[in-house]
Amino acid sequence: MSADRMKPGERLVAVLMGQKPDRVPVSPFILGYAAKIVGLPIGDLYTDPKKSFRAQLLCAEMHGYDSSPMYGYAAVGAWEFGGKVGFPYEPGQSAPYVIKEPVESEEDVDRLEVPDPKNAGSVPIAMEIARQCYASGLPAVFQSGEVLTYAGNIMGPTRLLTWMIRKPELVHKVCKKVEEFLIACAEYFTSTFGADRCIAFAGGPIESNKLISPKQFEEFVYPYMLRIHRKILDMGVQIILEHPCADQNKNMPWYRKLREECGWRGKYVWNFGPETPLETQIAQFGEHDVIMGNVDPPSFQFRSFEEVLLLCKENIERGIKNPSGYILGPGCEMPPLAPPINVYAMIKASREYGRYG
Amino acid sequence: MKEEILRGLTDSVVSGDVEKCVQYAKRALEAGIDAYEAIMEGCARGMSLVSEKYEKGEMYVPEILCSAEAMYAAMDVLKPHLKTERVGTPRKVVLGVVRGDIHDIGKNLVKLMMEAAGFQVIDLGRDVPNERFVEAVLKEGADICGMSALMTTSMIFMPEIIRELKQKAPATITMVGGGPLSQELAKAYGADGYAKDAAAAIRVAKELLSRRGGM
Ligand code: B12
Repeated sequence: MSADRMKPGERLVAVLMGQKPDRVPVSPFILGYAAKIVGLPIGDLYTDPKKSFRAQLLCAEMHGYDSSPMYGYAAVGAWEFGGKVGFPYEPGQSAPYVIKEPVESEEDVDRLEVPDPKNAGSVPIAMEIARQCYASGLPAVFQSGEVLTYAGNIMGPTRLLTWMIRKPELVHKVCKKVEEFLIACAEYFTSTFGADRCIAFAGGPIESNKLISPKQFEEFVYPYMLRIHRKILDMGVQIILEHPCADQNKNMPWYRKLREECGWRGKYVWNFGPETPLETQIAQFGEHDVIMGNVDPPSFQFRSFEEVLLLCKENIERGIKNPSGYILGPGCEMPPLAPPINVYAMIKASREYGRYG
Repeated sequence: MKEEILRGLTDSVVSGDVEKCVQYAKRALEAGIDAYEAIMEGCARGMSLVSEKYEKGEMYVPEILCSAEAMYAAMDVLKPHLKTERVGTPRKVVLGVVRGDIHDIGKNLVKLMMEAAGFQVIDLGRDVPNERFVEAVLKEGADICGMSALMTTSMIFMPEIIRELKQKAPATITMVGGGPLSQELAKAYGADGYAKDAAAAIRVAKELLSRRGGM
């Protein structure tokens, strides 16, 4: 095994600039796992920006992977719009969860106000982490979608999904408010740090075809997503990390259309779930975008080191064929209870099977 | 006539048409169709078609939830007319999402299908501590305890619950389900049954009950 030529982080930058790094960069989508590694309750990772930043930084340093600290979770939206979330301090809990939804009735929809990002729910925590990143020369990441996942957390997924058929106009009203909020968030972050120092991070499980049809994606997701992405690109953000969570194979034409309608501006990093073959992603985005893929997350918790190493090797062999760059990562968050040796398997796989040239 | 009404019930459950469903339920009673038969051959058949269509990717969760609304509306009409000697006491199922996990859409669908199939479901909700499963099973004298987990961090509580139940309520049938579960894992956890979707959950539940000699 030859020594690494580049430092962690450098190879991510290289890939994003369209250059070939020494080897495949590794971005293990680590949140709760970092808290475990440094001996903190997972809750601290989502509530205490100083501890969170430090835990994520130390975890990256210890493992030697390339991605830097960020903030975000799937239950986002409820707190920001006036509801309540709980944080994972109890055994078994692994991420924030909604306790009270701000929309519980039809009347609540009209009462729902678009909050000011500066003091909306988790945004100040995300901002504080971004500040620390910025101060260390790292990118400032802000959450910018997807709209329907926010809406689902605002009104509860069952209400959302039922209203999509029974009262679509109410769902659209909420989505519109979310859109407004997300654009305000983007403005807040880009005006604080400069658009060129920001990365927008979007994605969510409620868009998945486990729940909704591609037709429903077209009606309730696409128009909002398109407007938000256009605005963010107009602001000058160059990098958008898009994470279509879980099985979104049937939504693929819309993601492709998004890129086309935005004129392929900026650089997208696609992190699909393990359900979407890398070859499909390369066929859709390979001419322009980076693919970050997409090893099955639970395998990191349950499989042996040898098995995980093999999964990573296979992923590298397929992903490295993407002409516009490839990053090794899981298809969703690294399970917080994954044995550390299995995170190391990603680094080892990159060193052994992911060398360029 | 009877066939037409039952088919009407089924179709309006599938299309999620609440009004039509209620109308057909009323017509069923007027035509002297047994309420139990109307529920089983009309509503429940509709829900199992819905479940099949979901598995095939022909229906999605929003449509299923509307079908559920239609089914419950019809059941509200039909239930008061159930003759208890015809139905017997319904089988009781304690159902919940295990500790740390808030993914409850799948559990809710399982609940729905079970209710459509005539089970009485005691829904413990989500993020349910181990003890609450055991307490509920003992208190209700449940025939089945169903546990759902969508996260690998949460499913590890299942074997603990199953172990407790085997000690304190050995006759209770244990069933597990949810994304990361599998037949093998269910077996390793000591569960009596596993099902990959809501329709299969009903089949497995009925089979386990008949094996136990209860249905
Ligand atoms: C929707 C969703 C959410 C929604 C949940 C809304 C809700 N109230 O349920 C929201 C946005 C809140 C969410 C949040 C998170 N999620 Co999520 N989510 C999903 C998603 C996309 C779909 C789940 C779903 O509803 N499916 C539809 C239903 C109908 O299917 P089902 O649940 O499988 O149920 C069927 C069968 O399994 C079976 N069944 C289910 N239960 C039972 C029980 C019995 C007894 C039986 C017999 C059968 C049975 O029958 C059901 C009907 O057919 C999955 C992806 C996936 N592949 O499942 C991720 C997924 C479960 N989420 C995941 C993660 C990581 C999270 C978060 C931790 C993310 C984060 N960092 O913030 C948080 C966790 C929040 C928390 N504190 O718990 C991961 C879990 C991975 C892991 N390591 O285990 C998944 C698998 C995504 C992925 N690809 O990695 N999520």
